[in-house]
Amino acid sequence: MNQDTPLGGHISKRFDNELEDIRNQVLAMGGFIETQVTNGLKGLFESDSEIARRVVEDDDKVNRMEVDIDDQCLKILARRQPAASDLRLVIAIIKTINDLERIGDQAEKLGRNQLELVDDGAESSYFMKLEHLGELVSKMLNKALDSFARMDVDEALKTIALDERINAEFDGLMRQLITHMMEDPRTIRNVLRVSWCARALERIGDHSKNICEHVVFLVQGKDVRHIGLKAQVEMASE
Amino acid sequence: MQQKMNQTASPNLDLGSFESTIGENLLDDAKISTRDVNVSYGDKQAIYDASLDIGRNQVVALIGPSGCGKSTFLRCLNRMNDTIPSCKVSGKLILDGEDIYAKKMDPVLLRARVGMVFQKPNPFPKSIYDNVAYGPRIHGLARNNAEVDEIVITSLEKAGLFEEVKDRLSAPGTSLSGGQQQRLCIARTIAVSPEVILMDEPASALDPIATAIIEGLIDELRQNYTIVIVTHSMQQAARVSQRTAYFHMGRIVEVGDTSRIFTNPRHDMTENYITGKFG
Repeated sequence: MNQDTPLGGHISKRFDNELEDIRNQVLAMGGFIETQVTNGLKGLFESDSEIARRVVEDDDKVNRMEVDIDDQCLKILARRQPAASDLRLVIAIIKTINDLERIGDQAEKLGRNQLELVDDGAESSYFMKLEHLGELVSKMLNKALDSFARMDVDEALKTIALDERINAEFDGLMRQLITHMMEDPRTIRNVLRVSWCARALERIGDHSKNICEHVVFLVQGKDVRHIGLKAQVEMASE
Repeated sequence: MQQKMNQTASPNLDLGSFESTIGENLLDDAKISTRDVNVSYGDKQAIYDASLDIGRNQVVALIGPSGCGKSTFLRCLNRMNDTIPSCKVSGKLILDGEDIYAKKMDPVLLRARVGMVFQKPNPFPKSIYDNVAYGPRIHGLARNNAEVDEIVITSLEKAGLFEEVKDRLSAPGTSLSGGQQQRLCIARTIAVSPEVILMDEPASALDPIATAIIEGLIDELRQNYTIVIVTHSMQQAARVSQRTAYFHMGRIVEVGDTSRIFTNPRHDMTENYITGKFG
């Protein structure tokens, strides 16, 4: 794929514009999702129910963005019958926005758990345990979106590697939380809530990884899903 | 399907070296093999070093911009270019181990083995029956009228036309609709039991329904014949063919499985052409 004008250069200028427009909307959706995740975490860490409530409410916007972009992809498929890199772009976008929407759902979960904890009258210091995992996940999501925006396979592969660190962090955190619950069963109700948030973050890592795999498919036309990181790197460098 | 680069298709014939086309242009056990084919009309060279194998019972689509040489290449395969005095063909063109351009090869018999269907349906100004019966009669493929009848009926059946015309076989071929006329031409081609059918934009003058019928027919004919189709419709190439060759300025740029060419072409020129970009 031509890196200088990845989408442009069609004889039909309008098609150029349509593809550019749809790509910009995905980037805007990605930016919005990033804010949702950041605010979801902020709500937890700063015990800010106002922010948490807004994250929950704004999930509807995410859903509408997905439906909107999906609709435009459908129209491009029907009207332009794209091939080669154009086809891969449209397919990658359809898949990416699906992952983005599900990341949005996980961000919404963070918000809901914050609100429910406050409703229960419990303190939110429990959530501070999520700080490191939250940082890792935010970073991974940011890099995944960056690699999509720049159609950068190297960046995508590096980002995929982060998922293993996130999984390790998640496993360690779960062990801690389980110990906590065993030591003091009265905390189970609240600690479970923390573990659901941890699970939500871990899922965001998985979806970010998917986005990176869509980037490899988009740029190189290679399907690198479900083969493990080592094989992914080998296949992408062939 | 076994595909190998730089392999000669027949051990008895030296087909020469090859390096410029990318993708899988050569096959094991090809029906037609071409190597280093150069074609010129007078001073103007139309095809440069074309090496392409046509697999048995496969549909191979030739695509490319106007004037890229795809029709010229197609017409070399049954020596239709012989009728153009200024046209010179060099290189090897092999049909099942036989040199297509050998002196002993009779072009009339060759064209019975390698039939052709054109862009514009061109039925003879005769009845539907006679259109199909003409070839078998002049090639002496039938010993009596009963055999001619049988060839006409099976050919029309294979072309998917028999049910529509069985009550009016004596009506003029030109009285049929465009799509029916094209299927009549296909029946006429099939009637002389060809091995290969060349199609030069067979559906470009037809509406979408007639096109869909022709495309369905091409897929069925593949069971018994090898088909090479030139088309300007990329969607059509993607729908009907197993392999696709992209021509540009007289050269074969890239050849590969159709599904790969249309999802992940390797050459920038192929990519630009099928995505509709400036090359």
